[in-house]
Amino acid sequence: MIKTPAYIHFIQPGLMTTVQDLGRFGMAAYGVPYSGVMDRFSMTQANYLLQNQFYDSVLEMGGPGAKMVFEMPTRIVFVGADADIYWNDKPVKAGKILEIQEDDVIHIRKFRKGQWLYMGIQGGFETEIVAESRSWYPGITPQFKIEKSDSVCYLSEERFYPALSSHAKMNLNWFKHGEIKVYKGPEWDQLPKLMQNRIMKKSFTISTLVNRMAYQLEETIENEVEPILTSPVYPGTIQLTPNGTLIVLMRDAQVTGGYPRILQVENNSLNILSQKRPGDRINFSL
Amino acid sequence: MDIRIFRIHSKLIELAWPKVISTDILREQQQVRRFFEEEYTEGIREIRIGFNTLSLKLRIEISENDCADILEEINQLPSILGSFSSKIWKIPVHYSPESGKDLEKLAGIHEIGIEEIIKIHSETIYTLHFYGFLPGFMYLGGLDEKLYTPRKKNPERSMPSGTVAIGGKQTGIYPAESPGGWHAIGQCPVRLFDISKERPVVPAIGDKVKFEPITREVFEDIQQLSHQGLYSWHHD
Repeated sequence: MIKTPAYIHFIQPGLMTTVQDLGRFGMAAYGVPYSGVMDRFSMTQANYLLQNQFYDSVLEMGGPGAKMVFEMPTRIVFVGADADIYWNDKPVKAGKILEIQEDDVIHIRKFRKGQWLYMGIQGGFETEIVAESRSWYPGITPQFKIEKSDSVCYLSEERFYPALSSHAKMNLNWFKHGEIKVYKGPEWDQLPKLMQNRIMKKSFTISTLVNRMAYQLEETIENEVEPILTSPVYPGTIQLTPNGTLIVLMRDAQVTGGYPRILQVENNSLNILSQKRPGDRINFSL
Repeated sequence: MDIRIFRIHSKLIELAWPKVISTDILREQQQVRRFFEEEYTEGIREIRIGFNTLSLKLRIEISENDCADILEEINQLPSILGSFSSKIWKIPVHYSPESGKDLEKLAGIHEIGIEEIIKIHSETIYTLHFYGFLPGFMYLGGLDEKLYTPRKKNPERSMPSGTVAIGGKQTGIYPAESPGGWHAIGQCPVRLFDISKERPVVPAIGDKVKFEPITREVFEDIQQLSHQGLYSWHHD
């Protein structure tokens, strides 16, 4: 099987476009975040559809606008957010394997639902592996965000692909419900019962402060929880600031934090939460 | 040991010591960490520490009862005597109003001279408790009370790489350009984090750190050496 290095050239970068895999583990002792895809469920689906390794890297996009040209043939698939995807100006559906030819153009336009769209590619990307991961992060990998006219390497395979019988039925509603399962965090018991109940009964709105490090929620919880000494935090840790803001830490979260950690989001719920957009509402359940 | 155990879920637990920054707690944390690494090697995915916490991410699921057993085992560990035989790393810092743009303001707040701030800051021996916040950012204990300064209400959008700063009861060096709410008093020319190295940081947890005032000229020399990978750290 002949594999030739080829490039995807970005005519437009899109929003928060990065290469991610499952993340970088074992470096937290030096202050290095895990990183990795925001929504593992979608990434795994993309790799499964392509018959890739489950850990192969994918392209993650946090909004519309990415426009890219492929140098050589490959196969790709889109999973995650419900977005308008154009393949040489023709609309295509998520979950369908696209047999890309030389000079084909992919253009991502409107996001209808969900926050992160994933593009899986045959064999994953060939970007640099740093500390056993291809996940982009500032100061760790040479690139940390796609910029206009950047290129990303992949391996083009010149072989006959057995046609996949049919394209998988995509369930685009899996992240639609707003129930987020949580565990009590180390400082939960410092909240008065009344406040605990309020947090569990209230709906929270995702604010516009949404990125790979954290999602901030709009509603505030007045509190007098004592500050803590800097302590470990993880993706999914929910911090409560002195002014009452709830901050949900995401995949690029720093490894330690100084705000009380009132809740910890369950792993699958973190994938669901990551797909929420500003204005979407969520409820916590213990 | 005065420790409480908290089970966040079946694969994530946290041990908490009393809420103080102390080298005694750090010593106990190190002892507990070694205990877990030796006794529970297979079951542990990652250990992280904070000033008074130790967090365990597990590969296996554990119950509340297991937590109680673990706590009992920890309490039966022999108490450790003596102190760390740790190194004191010398970290060069150019203290000046140019490289530390809050130095003059800080002198005003504390009603002491710039020289006095530099003297207090550079004569103290700090202890490295853990890394966090940014890759290679050292959480140091030991700042002299005279220099305690509340963090800025509005963090700066950008602190240059190498900025030495004071925030609250802490001092530290920004290993990379970053937003930050601490008060800048100087700049360090040495690269503190290098991902291309097997161990991307130099001082180990429990080691000591002392800042050495240097001139602008020496700063530039060291910066050049450090960029070329030719600077060697030194310690007592």
